[in-house]
Amino acid sequence: MIDTIELNDQIKRTNAYACLECGKCTSVCPVSRYGRDYSPRMLLNRTIRKDFDAIFQDYDLWSCLTCKKCDDVCLAGIQYIELTQLLRSKALEEGFKGKCSHAGALQSLSRIMTSEYLHQNRLDWVTDDLGIATEGEILYFVGCAPYFDVFFSDLEVTTLEAAQSSIRILNRLGIEPVLLADERCCGHDLLWNGDAENFTRLGKHNLEEISKTGAKTILFSCAECLSTFKSLYPQWGLTVKPELKHMSQFLAEKVATGELELQSSDTSITYQDPCRLGRHLGIYDEPRQVLATGSPRDNGAPLREMQQAGKRSLCCGVSAWMNCDRTSKAIQTERLRQAKSTGADVLAVACPKCQIHLTCTMKDQLLKDKYGLTIRDISALTLERMQ
Amino acid sequence: MDSEGHIADLLVQSKATISFESAGTPQAKPIAVVEPSPCTRACPAGVNVKAYVSLIAAGRFQEALEVVRQRNPLPGICGRVCTHPCEVACNLGDIDSPVAICWLKRFVADYELTHPQAKPEPISQTRKEKVAVIGSGPAGLTAANDLVRLGFGVTVFEALSTPGGMLVAGIPAYRLPRNIVAAEIDAIRHLGVEIQTDSPISGDKAIDRLFEEGYRAVFLAIGAHKGRKLGVPGEEDYRGIIDCITFLNEANLGKAKKPGNKVIVIGGGSSAVDSARTALRLGSEAVHIVYRRSRKEMPAHEAEIVEAEREGVQLHYLAAPVRVLGKADRVTAMECQKMKLGKPDESGRRRPVPIEGSEFEVEADTIITAISQGPDLSFLTDDQGVELTRWQTFAADEGTMATSRPGVFAGGDAVTGPSTVIDAIAAGHVAARSIVRFLDGEALVQAEVSGGLVESEIEVDRKERKPAPRATMPMLEVADRISTFEEVDLGFEAAQAVAEAQRCQRCGPCSECYVCVPECDKITTILSTPQGDGEAILRLPGNFELPDQAGASVVVKSGRRKGVNLAVFPVIPQVKEELCRSCGDCVAACEYEAVSLIPKNGDVSVARVDPDICRGCGTCVAVCSTGAMLPGYYTGDWLTQRLASLDLEKRNIVVFACHWNGSHLDDKTLQDMHGKDIHLEIIHTMCSGRINPGFVFEALESGAEGVLITGCSSHDCHYDFGAKRAQQMFQNLERLVHMVGFKPGCVCYKQIPAADSARFMAAVDSFVEGLGKTKPNQRAAELEAVS
Repeated sequence: MIDTIELNDQIKRTNAYACLECGKCTSVCPVSRYGRDYSPRMLLNRTIRKDFDAIFQDYDLWSCLTCKKCDDVCLAGIQYIELTQLLRSKALEEGFKGKCSHAGALQSLSRIMTSEYLHQNRLDWVTDDLGIATEGEILYFVGCAPYFDVFFSDLEVTTLEAAQSSIRILNRLGIEPVLLADERCCGHDLLWNGDAENFTRLGKHNLEEISKTGAKTILFSCAECLSTFKSLYPQWGLTVKPELKHMSQFLAEKVATGELELQSSDTSITYQDPCRLGRHLGIYDEPRQVLATGSPRDNGAPLREMQQAGKRSLCCGVSAWMNCDRTSKAIQTERLRQAKSTGADVLAVACPKCQIHLTCTMKDQLLKDKYGLTIRDISALTLERMQ
Repeated sequence: MDSEGHIADLLVQSKATISFESAGTPQAKPIAVVEPSPCTRACPAGVNVKAYVSLIAAGRFQEALEVVRQRNPLPGICGRVCTHPCEVACNLGDIDSPVAICWLKRFVADYELTHPQAKPEPISQTRKEKVAVIGSGPAGLTAANDLVRLGFGVTVFEALSTPGGMLVAGIPAYRLPRNIVAAEIDAIRHLGVEIQTDSPISGDKAIDRLFEEGYRAVFLAIGAHKGRKLGVPGEEDYRGIIDCITFLNEANLGKAKKPGNKVIVIGGGSSAVDSARTALRLGSEAVHIVYRRSRKEMPAHEAEIVEAEREGVQLHYLAAPVRVLGKADRVTAMECQKMKLGKPDESGRRRPVPIEGSEFEVEADTIITAISQGPDLSFLTDDQGVELTRWQTFAADEGTMATSRPGVFAGGDAVTGPSTVIDAIAAGHVAARSIVRFLDGEALVQAEVSGGLVESEIEVDRKERKPAPRATMPMLEVADRISTFEEVDLGFEAAQAVAEAQRCQRCGPCSECYVCVPECDKITTILSTPQGDGEAILRLPGNFELPDQAGASVVVKSGRRKGVNLAVFPVIPQVKEELCRSCGDCVAACEYEAVSLIPKNGDVSVARVDPDICRGCGTCVAVCSTGAMLPGYYTGDWLTQRLASLDLEKRNIVVFACHWNGSHLDDKTLQDMHGKDIHLEIIHTMCSGRINPGFVFEALESGAEGVLITGCSSHDCHYDFGAKRAQQMFQNLERLVHMVGFKPGCVCYKQIPAADSARFMAAVDSFVEGLGKTKPNQRAAELEAVS
């Protein structure tokens, strides 16, 4: 049985009862716009009516991309995606779950990583020319890229390039970053699948491992990992002491101080704001600053911004390996269309998920000739432009 | 969709073939049988040989036994003493050696003794007519068994004190232990057959009296117990000459003493060899068999002759008795004459011709005659109206077993002279059928000639055949058997039986064992469908209107069996359109080109599976990243259910096994092989191409210590490309498993030749063994952490 009193308290904290039913959330929601008959407003309505059974049984509880567009436009200050997280956790407790993509393999991997007794071989990709350390002030949190590149080898996606490039850049700056041999999944996707318990376990493990290294700064190429450390861990009572930075922030600093000099390039770039980096953490400028350095001018602008950029940016279409479907593809197709129509050569990404999801649609049988673009991570592009 | 009717009716409705698509025992179309396999056709009694061998191959021993029993009420007996024409017919005989069918039958019969089943309910008499069966040998017992099953009252009259006829009177216990005979006769009795022992039919008008007592039909199955005389001088003059049946009967009853020190057995049939070996066991020092033709013509089975020789019996071929020599009143020797082989006689064997002047003497104090037997007709007075042949056997129509007297039927050795148990069983079936027609007032019909060696059109592909030696029968050492009547052949172990049955090439179409049909709950295993009652995978034709939902109910009736409710799970995947990203992965995966992308509206396309082309391997389902491709079976939920049965107290091994792999051993059999501390979960898929990393990770996450994926090799993949896909999938999987830190070898992919369950078992064995090195507590801790 659902403890409705407790749930009610939790819902109150999301401000859901303040809903004005204005429908702005639904009007900006990409899921609603590009596909299904999904309505955040209706879900709020059902929540207010405490129609939890219907909510839990609805496929659409798991459809929210948690892109946070709705929160940004809500006049009542409702934290809709937090409400989503809350309801998903309850739904999971009640035995419901989202439609896992890839037969749930990625969720399984994350859960497997909660085992204390695991001895991963996750650093096999670190070649001798990459200088890394086991202790030090700067830690680079790799994320699940090593797994993704094997799992998505059919897509020939290379999310590890971000890590390799980041380490090379750091090395050139005289930094040998700490890499955790026993880094675990940050737990982001599990939490958004409603699994707070395993999320917390992963968080604890990672923070413990990090604390042994003496790290004062943690750098991330993955926007989801960063937002997990920055927002979700503290939200779930896990204290993160080191300073947390996305690689783009780190690079922007170094460019600003002149430590990092970038060559000019003919490659024109457009940039995909990851939801986590943008709307979740408000980091819009730094990636642009890095990418703009050395980029060719286009009517005075170094970056070729897409129709929806910055705060209005469009999500890559799937979240937490759930509910990938026709709507996801429609969103991705639209995003690729927007990217392509900027005339840019390269679509820069700051999150491996954006890279995977957009690559998947780009390589699609029906679309591959239409939206051929190079998709690359910010660090990889930056490394190319280094002296 | 609820439709009721025979499978064949469904067939007509859909104007196409419904076949049980499964590598389980019924392999192919259960309806359109082209030609039975050679073994099945060779059995005189019409036992569905292929079916029971296949069931044994699948580790389904009890069902195999039930299949045998449908046509043979004496499986344990025939499993020991049958002359097995099925093995002669076996296609493998031309290649290496036939499947040891007879010993397999023995194995399942023995298996039941050690794994007792609930007895079937006695059959109540639903017909008022009573039938008298004279003689409780295999012919009589078979007829009685058939008749009682049809609701008739049956009384069997047995002259001897123990039922079984020649089975107990003639065949020694070292070949046929008496507890086996007793158990099988008891089972027939239990059904409702009344057997009166010590009840010879004798005296005046013996048959008339039976009719007067109310029996409406009589089956004369008295066997051939009366030994024929040698017809040589001196035969009647001395003590020490005994006929083999008398000798064997006394020995079998434990009454016989050592017949003498020097024994000569005259004859070359089973009774001769049995007599010789029995004499040895009773302590005779020298035992000779004298046979007038050469070894090749000896009617006794070669294996029996070999064993007799190993035990020390001396054989003399091409020698015939001429005269019995004696001193005082006791036999001292037999004078014999050498023979040569002339032209073939009517039996097709070359006639022995005496060589003049070649007489020689063999010293003996005892002579056992075993030259042939006839029925003991002393009870029959001329006015009984039953005509005899010139060989003093009953004259009966071999297609109906009818004698010259209406209502009186005869069969078995009493008609044919000494023959085999399986021929007697065949005769019993024919007689029972005729008796039913007679009692129903219908004209008798000739039975189809079953058995015999007909050239089969079904051939085994010799090139495909992997050499596999026939299993040898474990036997008692000569020294251990020679002084006892302990059974010489020890029988197979379960693993041996399964391996031997797996040598069967399953010639021909579905064996139509139909074990799938009447027993809903078992369909799940035999067709290897998801667990639960009444689920079966039917490969439905393209134009067959599928139920909206997987699992919809169809009532299927098969023959006179009860109708069963089958939940229909379409083999052909259905596409959940709103989930379809039209990425084309499925299109790329399906090399049959059964999947295509169909424009929906505007830019949107969806995958569509052409049911006429799709063969249901499930590879497209495996590659679908969103789950839009819905299998009718082996859904994710079902997998989760199966994995929920892992026992965290034990070491769990999950095997994802391709249907076609010969992996259809029942879990119990496999479990027994791996001991109590291991929980083995065998999860079938149509093809190894259906496996994706999600399956494997879920198994590992659920507490599996190891996951074995088995599939056929690329060249014999039933779906042509499934194995290739599995291989590609595994390459990635292996890297992921390594990366996440599971110990090496805990996830393994093995290619096994299709339908080779011996190799399947070996793969499971070596996988389990390979895992065996983990320290138990480390594993427990891992499990705890993951679960």
